[in-house]
Amino acid sequence: MFLKFFYTLKEIGIPVSPTSFLVLQKALHQGIINSLDDFYTCARAILVKSEKYFDLYDQVFVHHFEGVPLPENDGFEIDEMARGMLDEWLKNPKMMADALGVDEDQLKNMSPEELIAYFKERLKDQEGEHHGGYKWIGTGGYSPVGHSGHHPGGMRVGGQSRNKSAVKVANERRYKDYSTAGPLTQAKISEALKRLRNLIPAGPRDRINIDETIRETMRNAGEIELMFDRALKDRLKIILAIDNGGWSMDPYISVVQTLFDYAGAQFKEVKTYFFHNTIYDGLWEDPARYKKPRNIIEFSRLDPDTRLIIVGDASMAPYELMASDGSIHISERSGRPSIEQLKFLAKTFSHSVWLNPVSETMWGYTHTIMAISKIFPMYELSLDGLEKAVAKLMNKN
Amino acid sequence: MYQESNSEFVGAQKYVLDQELASIVNISMKLEMPLLLKGEPGTGKTMLAHAITESLNMPLIVLNVKSSMKLVEALYQYDTLTRLNDSRFGDSKRNVSNIDEYIKMGKIGQAFCADKRTVLLIDEIDKADTDFQDDMLDVLDQMQFDIIETDKTIEAILRPVIIITSNAKKDLSDPFLGRCNFHHIAFPDPKMMRKIIGVHFEDIDSKLAQNAIDAFYSMREIDSIEKKPATRELINWIRALNADPDFRAKDLVKGRLPFLGVLFKKSPDYERAKNIASRRRMF
Repeated sequence: MFLKFFYTLKEIGIPVSPTSFLVLQKALHQGIINSLDDFYTCARAILVKSEKYFDLYDQVFVHHFEGVPLPENDGFEIDEMARGMLDEWLKNPKMMADALGVDEDQLKNMSPEELIAYFKERLKDQEGEHHGGYKWIGTGGYSPVGHSGHHPGGMRVGGQSRNKSAVKVANERRYKDYSTAGPLTQAKISEALKRLRNLIPAGPRDRINIDETIRETMRNAGEIELMFDRALKDRLKIILAIDNGGWSMDPYISVVQTLFDYAGAQFKEVKTYFFHNTIYDGLWEDPARYKKPRNIIEFSRLDPDTRLIIVGDASMAPYELMASDGSIHISERSGRPSIEQLKFLAKTFSHSVWLNPVSETMWGYTHTIMAISKIFPMYELSLDGLEKAVAKLMNKN
Repeated sequence: MYQESNSEFVGAQKYVLDQELASIVNISMKLEMPLLLKGEPGTGKTMLAHAITESLNMPLIVLNVKSSMKLVEALYQYDTLTRLNDSRFGDSKRNVSNIDEYIKMGKIGQAFCADKRTVLLIDEIDKADTDFQDDMLDVLDQMQFDIIETDKTIEAILRPVIIITSNAKKDLSDPFLGRCNFHHIAFPDPKMMRKIIGVHFEDIDSKLAQNAIDAFYSMREIDSIEKKPATRELINWIRALNADPDFRAKDLVKGRLPFLGVLFKKSPDYERAKNIASRRRMF
């Protein structure tokens, strides 16, 4: 029964499993489902396992039982995208017009319906050109390209890629309330960083060690000898270096801020330093990068097991990274180019990562990102990237 | 295993149930499958389990999942220390050579061994790691587990009604989802909220309730609030408003919102809400 319904669900892209279909059959046979309303709720509870698909389920349901036509094949996605674009358009017409590469005035004269139809056309074109997996897991802000469009150092990648970001905007609108692509909040960051810990016994000895107790009791000829251990506590040392200078980091400040807040609350031994663009002779302890410089040579004295996390967009003019006098600060003239200093840090701390708020698909366009990612394992500052970075940091080798 | 005809779940005294959820609960009970509930904090996921126990008169067993939890802790515990102590001093009535007497049931074990059908609430499953979740689902699927120390298998006498809650935005693993029914509780709309408030405050002034709910929903709308106030906060807020002798219901319309700290628990959220509230008052 309802085989066709089941297969329509599957075709439309809801991950339904045969097992759950059998469960539904079982429910039908037990006579628990007595009306269409019952069927609607029960079939959903049994077949659909995520609220993301509730909307799709509804559409298939009315199609199957009420005969409402399904939107054409790729209609679901594009409908949603177009609606998202319309929202965006209402908020910021100029940006959208730019992103789509069309004339703002021309669009202004269209009615909302015409606009949606127009967007749909454009989106279909887009899909043809840029296939495949965008993983737009929230780096905050809609469009890194749009924001930093005037960067002299090569962040701007021209009209074509801006189109990509328009699709991205629309993409993000899908399942707006429930998707994983929302901004990184503390809760999400804590989820990702949960595994970043190094448990070491610490504190008072107040946990009973049963094995030791039994052994000691035996040695003591049966006279009970209680043995205690210390509780396991997290003692991971972390150095967090944040690029807080220059406006190329501006769009990402809130994301970085969240990460920083969280790190401060979560880890006992986290030291935060600041730098501008890249690291030369030193890092600063104060955000203004003025009062408390620390020479990075001193870092070699620290525990090499310390995890080093660098957060920055790694986007700058190539000479800033390569030249021996690349720093804009006159005091930093040790003669070592930044790239050498970075290599030194990477060698000192075997567990280090670079988190980049710039979307990974854009990295290839910026020379310095490529250069730095050869020194440090680089990950996108998103939920996905954080998880990968944590895995890398906890890697034993 | 499932006999009584009157055991349909129809809601409880302090719980406003929508029809959809009721039929999902009932079908999960009949199919004897765990029901996984997701939804924003404060949509009454945990309350549902309490409501079921109240309405069907079944005992409730709560397993609060913690991040460091191991599955075996939820099943049973072997009390080595008491046994060691007994074997040394020999002054207890327990038989030291019988390990069974030192096995204590954990929450899942208790639910299995109960001689009455129970409601087993597994709260905030997303806190534990995925291994825990999958292993536990195996136990719940088979409705049995082994006690390694005594090489015994504990089988559920009566399959408990299992309610699992999760706050996570992330989806749980596929094998996990495959084994349970799923429902997402949406945040109640103002009408529903009015009913919920009515259930909690029987003799509330209807104007106060309406104004408070309106103010509450408009405050949930404020942008970039990290932790939106939920039903629990609203109930506490109304309680606070009721307790204040100087408070008048029409103040809320004018934008005078006292006790914002009850609604917003994070200081940036609080500051923001306070700013916006005071700005509204001027117009």
